[in-house]
Amino acid sequence: MYRYVAGRVVQGLLLVIVVITLSFLFIQLAPGDAVSYLYGTQSLSAETLARIRHEWGLDRPLWVQYSSYLGHLLSGNLGYSQVNGQPVAYMLGAMIPNTLLLMAPSIMIAAAIGILLGAIAARAMDSWKDYTIGTVSLVGYSTPPFWLGIIFIIIFASMLRWLPTQGMGTLGSQATGLVRGLDTVRHMVLPTAVLVWWYMAAFTRLTRVAMLEELSKPYLTTARMKGLSERRVFLHHALRNAAKPVLTILGLHLGTMFAGAVMTEVVFAWPGVGRLLFNAIIQHDYPVVLGIFIVVGSAVVVTNLIIDLLYVLVDPRIRYV
Amino acid sequence: MSERAVDWPVVEAKVVRSTYASPAWRSWRAFRRNRSAVTALCLLVLISVVSPTAVLWVATNSEAISADVLKGPTWSHPMGTDYLGREILVRVSHGVTTSLIVGGTVAVMAASIGVVVGVVAGYYGKWADLAAMRCADALLIIPTFLLVLSIASVFGGRLITVIFLLGATLWSQVARIVRAEVLTLREEAFVLSGRAIGAPDALLMFRGILPNALPPVIALIALLASAGILTEASLSFLGIGDPNVISLGQMLTNGLEYAATAWWVPTFPGAAIFVLVLLLNLLGDGLNAALNPRLWRR
Repeated sequence: MYRYVAGRVVQGLLLVIVVITLSFLFIQLAPGDAVSYLYGTQSLSAETLARIRHEWGLDRPLWVQYSSYLGHLLSGNLGYSQVNGQPVAYMLGAMIPNTLLLMAPSIMIAAAIGILLGAIAARAMDSWKDYTIGTVSLVGYSTPPFWLGIIFIIIFASMLRWLPTQGMGTLGSQATGLVRGLDTVRHMVLPTAVLVWWYMAAFTRLTRVAMLEELSKPYLTTARMKGLSERRVFLHHALRNAAKPVLTILGLHLGTMFAGAVMTEVVFAWPGVGRLLFNAIIQHDYPVVLGIFIVVGSAVVVTNLIIDLLYVLVDPRIRYV
Repeated sequence: MSERAVDWPVVEAKVVRSTYASPAWRSWRAFRRNRSAVTALCLLVLISVVSPTAVLWVATNSEAISADVLKGPTWSHPMGTDYLGREILVRVSHGVTTSLIVGGTVAVMAASIGVVVGVVAGYYGKWADLAAMRCADALLIIPTFLLVLSIASVFGGRLITVIFLLGATLWSQVARIVRAEVLTLREEAFVLSGRAIGAPDALLMFRGILPNALPPVIALIALLASAGILTEASLSFLGIGDPNVISLGQMLTNGLEYAATAWWVPTFPGAAIFVLVLLLNLLGDGLNAALNPRLWRR
């Protein structure tokens, strides 16, 4: 068990290093650096530009820049934003909780509803329930989240004036404690609804297919022949086996949630990692982009490991020695 | 003891027509019966004929501005006009044409790469398999959208670049499925006997195995096209699209600031993306059911 976990952690670290190296090299290929982006419009002399590049260490050989980056990384320093000079680790630290606040509940609620609906649809295959759930999840799966966000803004904010649409809190509000919490919740409603809608559809479709797959297998006949109740056969045998692919995808979504939030965060101006990434990409702020890639990569690696360990709970045949 | 005459059952022999139907024919039959998938296919064909025609021959130019600024939907302006007085219906047909081109090329590209990689990996096994599948794994771990977003932002989001990037990242799913099929097919008697009489590998792979591994890919093509359309729309919505091409995502961004005052400006381009993606997903689901022998009804 411990050996397995240790092995996986080492593998994961290697993967993260590969991601760092590739992104680092890739960013060097980019035409134009932060200096030309920041000062390109001002008429500075070539000497001045060269001096700024020298001060920022952008004229050093590639491998020197790379090893110094890795060295700083080990001490938790992700570099500095080339646009506003803030430490990247600090910027990320401020944004990660916001994205977690938005994404983690959305994905969990969506998974719970989706698994339930998918199981109901599979159980009643080809009935009106199945068709209704199938139609709803197909429509949900096909809705572009950013468009749904705009529709929600039009309906609930412009027409009905029920909910705020931008940011995490009312601007200039000095409220603290409960009032502030309620304000945040009000701001969360619309983006959460958009995310739940899409993720729920994805989980419903996935669970339905996984359940139908299991329900067609012969071991269920055996279970029924043993005299088990239909309820037990369905919940303890079929659903438990269908949980494995669902768990895999749940892990994938949780791992990539920092990337999955980009569109929603941009539409609702939610101050999270996705919007930070979007702004950094637009401004060619490469240290920030690199930092976000490292966070996303590590999140994927860690959640994959956790999901692999959770397999033991659903499938007794899996043992990590 | 009473003796009863034995009633021998009367057997009537009847010549029945052979009910054999080829798998392709049975798939087609299953598909035809699926009303929503057939409707989706017909609508998609209709859209792909009508919208390019509208772009090419309709008198109103997509960029033609007029004094009718931000007019709501009426009979003369079915989808209203935007902030420059441009006809939204005309621009939406232009955007739909762009989306269809993106979806079609991305799907064909991703499917071709995936099929070739999958067949080669599955047929040769060993290091070819290892290398191909590790690449596919890597593409699964790094979110496609993030990858394409950052690369497109670095190299500029010209339409051709975006298409190329999407094709180059979406193939992994196809490769995985084809490889799994090939792994079982290559042990089949017809492949073994082909090898025994000295047929070259390329012939066995692409004439023998490939046609048998294709059915699941056909269903995936529709889903790849919908993924391509959705990703391109997301990119151009974020402003990383081609500024010289009219795209639905870009129209949506430009309409965002009118969400409160002129709802039709952002609503219709987004609805067009939604309809295209929905139809393609419906078609994909229908094809998937029709091409999967386990789901055929007798």
